[in-house]
Amino acid sequence: MPDFSLTAEQESLRDLARRFARTEMAPHAAECDRTGRFPEEIYRKAFGLGLMNLNVPTEYGGSGLGVVDQCLIVEELAHACGGMTTSVIANCLALEPILLGGTAEQKHRLLTPFCAEYHLASFCLTEPSGGSDAGGLTTRARRDGDHYVLDGEKCFITNAPHASLYTVFATVDPGARHRGITAFVVPRSAEGVVPGKDEEKMGHRASSTSTVRFEGVRVPATDRLGADGEGFPLAMRTLDQTRTPIGALATGIAQAALDHAAAYALKRVTFGKPIAEHQAIQIKLANMAQAVRAARLLTWHAAWSIDHGAKGTLESSIAKCFASDAALRVADEAIQTFGGYGYMKEYPVEKLLRDAKLTQIYEGANEIQRTVIARELLQLYA
Amino acid sequence: MEIVVCVKPVPDAETRLRAASDGRTLDSEGVKFVLAGYDESAVEQALLLKEAVPGSKVHVVAYGPAPRTEEVLRSAIALGADLATWVDAGAERWADPIRAARALAAAIATVPHDLVLCGKHSGDDEAGLVAAALGELLSVPDFSCAVDLRWDAAQGHFQFRRPVERGTETWTAPLPCVVGLQQAWNDPRTAKLPAILKSRKATIARTAASSPAPSPSVTPERFELPPPRTGAKLIEYRTPEEAAQKLVHLLREEAKVFP
Ligand SMILES: Cc1cc2nc3c(=O)[nH]c(=O)nc-3n(C[C@H](O)[C@H](O)[C@H](O)COP(=O)(O)OP(=O)(O)OC[C@H]3O[C@@H](n4cnc5c(N)ncnc54)[C@H](O)[C@@H]3O)c2cc1C
Repeated sequence: MPDFSLTAEQESLRDLARRFARTEMAPHAAECDRTGRFPEEIYRKAFGLGLMNLNVPTEYGGSGLGVVDQCLIVEELAHACGGMTTSVIANCLALEPILLGGTAEQKHRLLTPFCAEYHLASFCLTEPSGGSDAGGLTTRARRDGDHYVLDGEKCFITNAPHASLYTVFATVDPGARHRGITAFVVPRSAEGVVPGKDEEKMGHRASSTSTVRFEGVRVPATDRLGADGEGFPLAMRTLDQTRTPIGALATGIAQAALDHAAAYALKRVTFGKPIAEHQAIQIKLANMAQAVRAARLLTWHAAWSIDHGAKGTLESSIAKCFASDAALRVADEAIQTFGGYGYMKEYPVEKLLRDAKLTQIYEGANEIQRTVIARELLQLYA
Repeated sequence: MEIVVCVKPVPDAETRLRAASDGRTLDSEGVKFVLAGYDESAVEQALLLKEAVPGSKVHVVAYGPAPRTEEVLRSAIALGADLATWVDAGAERWADPIRAARALAAAIATVPHDLVLCGKHSGDDEAGLVAAALGELLSVPDFSCAVDLRWDAAQGHFQFRRPVERGTETWTAPLPCVVGLQQAWNDPRTAKLPAILKSRKATIARTAASSPAPSPSVTPERFELPPPRTGAKLIEYRTPEEAAQKLVHLLREEAKVFP
């Protein structure tokens, strides 16, 4: 029999995240959503409590958590604010290529000073000409002695305006498509690194997203992760690790939507009784609860599989895709439960819909997830 | 300085409470127990003192049943306590405060203690007796409702304050003594993730409550939750005038606040 109970340790991690989410994040969520402010003081506090570099082993100064534990934390944070959570966990995405592809020397040199203080890092894969077709990226890396020279532009990069470190995917041979892609670690301080201005976004407005241009940036060959041409599989293995927490993030948004809807349904009276007593609303709440639970369990299952050594491509794609679709649906039904009030910015549920939407797009759009799921699935039948 | 802090597991404010099947006590099944707010302030006070007086140690002591008592001790360790002792209450479901104080005092008497801190009362029963009883049982001075305790090395005594109606008193006390602290005046720190993980592996000394339960002088007779609140009334209105009219009508006719 599978065991779905949490250990006392996991409960205490979840309590920490819940407390932080409620006391530090939630009170500022609406304000940051309205103004688009990047609440750096909250991210510093998250770092101070050990809620930031969750996947980095403790020997490099991270929190050293497995994927299940990361998911427990991420769901709690996202319950308070999806956008802040995106910015808090962006380091996990950006540092994962170093964890998976770096040598012991690189990990010590790059991660230890980074994790010792508050720093943000960005994962730079997507380009203006296309995110889904990552194999076709055009940022060039030309070898020059014991250096590489990077030229090109990335877009939609989380935390880019505030980051001090970038993991960058560039090609040493555009003709070779994905076989030419190579990964590099580039400090913000390198000459020619130019982050763009913060984008105006529909949701996740407490997070910051911009372009980054690399204009003849000289990167020592010692800051290349793996060999030439090993960047594409490294990016895919990275996303296999980080996709599942996006399922948890979506689950947190969905749970928040259900919580708001159920509480409101018990209070709002129409035709002489609380709307929670109208069957149409009960059916909504029942469907929402099913979606939230299923999203959480698929996420936990994917996380558990990865923690037990599975590659996790199929499981994490299913979890991320299902949970993000569920989040959008549940947020939509929460708005419907609130009626006109749900459409007003004064109430918290329309933000959840806008925040949920991103989870269907980033870390691999859901169309791509379904392609991956079908591919992995059909292999089982071939 | 050897600082002992007594802590008690209390139900989390967000837990839904139910009476146990005997109707006398709280049903602890499924209840999440946490460090009481007063105790968090006491632990924080101990840690501040430890930081101010080099070479100090903070020792948390709790009396109660498994597993909740161990859990709150681990919370205190995650915050920075150095040592923890669990006085195991066994199957005892409820102890009157004097019995709890006896069990705590027996454990404290066997360890170094220059200062014993606790909340001025617990977050659940709010009896407020443990600090005074500990002073009595350990034969040391005790004081309650204190804030901002400091060690005055030059004078060789503790100094602390007590907020009172329209003023603040300042007191001193010798070493050793027992002090019951107010809640939430010192912005208790939050345990960090690595400390939480480490606290899971810390050893907690366990002692059985020494004396058998005396025939209790008081016994809990019944535990009842407040009656469910009957719904608040939402006033539907189009204009503020209409809202005020309806409100006055309700206050007069239903609540009978005005004649
Ligand atoms: C707020 C935000 C933060 C982000 N953060 C980062 C980050 O930190 N780092 C980073 O590298 N990227 C980041 N991204 C980029 C994100 O991962 C991409 O937007 C995503 O991968 C989709 O790429 P695209 O926008 O170029 O869409 P396109 O690839 O142009 O796709 C457009 C549409 O076509 C569909 N489509 C594309 N190809 C196929 C196909 N073969 N079959 C079926 N459908 C297809 C897509 O699913 C999508 O619906 C972020 C994006 C956003 C919005």
